Amino acid sequence: MASVSEMYDVTWEEMRDKLRKWREDNHRNSEQIVDVGEELINEHASKLGDDIWIIYEQVMIAALDCSRDDLAWTCLQELKRQFPGSQRVKRLAGMRLEALEKYEDANKQYDSILQDDPTNTAARKRKISILKAQGKSAEAIRELNEYLEQFVGDQGAWHELSELYINEHDYGKAAFCLEELMMTNPHNHLYCEQYAEVKYTQGGLENLELSRKYFAQALKLNNRNMRALFGLYMSASHIAASPKVNATVEKANVKYATWATNQINRAYQLAGRGTKENKCSVKAVEEMLESITMS
Amino acid sequence: MAEPELLLDSNIRLWVVLPIVFITFLVGVIRHYVSILLQSDKKLTLEQVSDSQVLIRSRILRENGKYIPKQSFLMRKFYFNNQEDGFFKNTKRKVVPPSPMTDPSMLTDMMKGNVTNVLPMILIGGWINWTFSGFVTTKVPFPLTLRFKPMLQQGIELLSLDASWVSSASWYFLNVFGLRSMYSLILGQDNGADQSRIMQEQMSGAAMAMPADTNKAFKAEWEALELTDHQWALENIEEELMSRELDLDGMFSKELPMGIF
Repeated sequence: MASVSEMYDVTWEEMRDKLRKWREDNHRNSEQIVDVGEELINEHASKLGDDIWIIYEQVMIAALDCSRDDLAWTCLQELKRQFPGSQRVKRLAGMRLEALEKYEDANKQYDSILQDDPTNTAARKRKISILKAQGKSAEAIRELNEYLEQFVGDQGAWHELSELYINEHDYGKAAFCLEELMMTNPHNHLYCEQYAEVKYTQGGLENLELSRKYFAQALKLNNRNMRALFGLYMSASHIAASPKVNATVEKANVKYATWATNQINRAYQLAGRGTKENKCSVKAVEEMLESITMS
Repeated sequence: MAEPELLLDSNIRLWVVLPIVFITFLVGVIRHYVSILLQSDKKLTLEQVSDSQVLIRSRILRENGKYIPKQSFLMRKFYFNNQEDGFFKNTKRKVVPPSPMTDPSMLTDMMKGNVTNVLPMILIGGWINWTFSGFVTTKVPFPLTLRFKPMLQQGIELLSLDASWVSSASWYFLNVFGLRSMYSLILGQDNGADQSRIMQEQMSGAAMAMPADTNKAFKAEWEALELTDHQWALENIEEELMSRELDLDGMFSKELPMGIF
C-alpha cells in the first residue's frame, strides 16, 4: 500500500504543517490524521523534534476515533514515558478507556484528575461524555447544567447542551443555549440558523415570526446559506397560510416568501448552467415550491 | 564653545565596554532561567475562575444583547439584577486582601522576586564598580549638570571633568535597561530578565489588587446592566435583506478539493 507521501508526493515538512493546520482549525478528519500522522511518527520521528509530542496527542485521539487501538496505545506509551504524572496524559488514558467501553475505570481516572485539580474542565467534560455514551441523557443534561453554572463561558459546552435538549425535544431550553451562543458569536450564521430551526420546530405564531427573522439574519450574515433560504421561505409561507393573521401580515409574508422563491430559483439556475441533470433539479425545485404554496 | 574632547584609550573600549555588555546580558539570561525554575504555580480557585466567566457573560449580554429576542434579554437581565435574588445583588464573596502578612505564598513570591532581580543587580554593580574603577568609560551624548557627577563618576576625583563622562558602573546600569529589547528578541516576550517590567509591576501591583475586587466588580456590572436597554438588531431585518438580490457569487465553483493535499 502506498504511503501518503508517495501518493501525494509531499515532503514530511508539508505533512507536519498540514497536521498543524488541522490542529489549529480543530478539524475532526480522523482517518486522514491517522494516515498522515502514522507515517510521520513511524518514518520521521527523529526529525520532528519537540513537535512530536503534540502530534502524538493529535494522532492518538484520531486513532481512538478510527478504532485503531494499537496506534493509540503506542502514542499513549510514548507520552506517558515523556510526561509521567501529567494530567493531560491522564485524560488521554481516560479517553482510551472510554473507547474500550471500560467506563468505570475511565470515571476513576477522571476523578483522580479532579482531585488534584478541581478546576480541570477537560476531565469534567469527559465524565459528561461518558454519561452521554451510556445513553443516560437525563443525567448528562443535569451534570452539564452544573458544569455550565460554574463555567459559563464554555461555548462548546453550551452547544453540546443544546444538542442534548434537542434530542429530548425540550426546544425551549435548547433555544436558551443557542441564544448564549448567538450572543458570544454574533457573526456566526450557523448559530442563527440553528436557533431559527429550533424556533420553527417549536411552532406557534410568535415562534414562527422569530424563526423567520433569524433565518433572515443568517442569510444576511451569509448570503449563500441555502438552508436558511429555504427556512425563510417555509416560515414565511406558514405564517401567511395561518388562519390567525390579519391581512397586512399575510401580505408581507407572501412578499417574503415570493422573494425567497426567486432567490432559490436563481441559485438553482446558477448551480449548473447548461448541464442536463440540473435542468431536472430546477424543475423539481419549482414544483416543490408550488406544491408547498398550494397546501 | 567647543569642549576639549577627551580621547580614550581604545583598550577601554575592548576590555571594559564590551565585557560589561556581555556580563549584563549573560546575567540577564541566567536570571530568566532561574526565575523559571523558581516559579511557583499559581493555583486559581474554582470560584475565581467561575466569577471571572460570569463577569464576561454579563458584559457580553450588555454588548450583544441586541441579537437575541427581547424576552430572552429581559430574562437574563432579571436573573442578574433582580432585587431579591439576582446574582449580582446576592452573591457576596469573601474578600481577603492579599497583603504579604496574611498570604504566605505572596511573601515567598516577593522574596523570590527580590532575590532574582534586585540582589544580583546590586552585587554585580558593586563588583563592576570595584573592578573597573579609576577611569572614565564612556560619554553620554547629552549634557548633564554637575549634580550628576558624584553619582555617575564614582571613583574619579576630578572636579573639572564634564559630567557627561561616566564611569563603568553607570555604563552597567545603562545596559541593564537598554538590553531589555534584546531579551525580548532572544527569550521571547514575558521573560524573567525584564527588570523594568518587574519594577513596574511592583508599583502597579499595589493599585491592582485583583481578587479583593470581586464584590466591587459585581457592583459595577450590576449598575452597567441596569442601564442597558434592549435595541433589537433584527427589527427590520427582512427589509434590509430583501432590498437587494442575494450575492451568490462563487457558490458553485467547479473545483472540489481532492484528497488531503
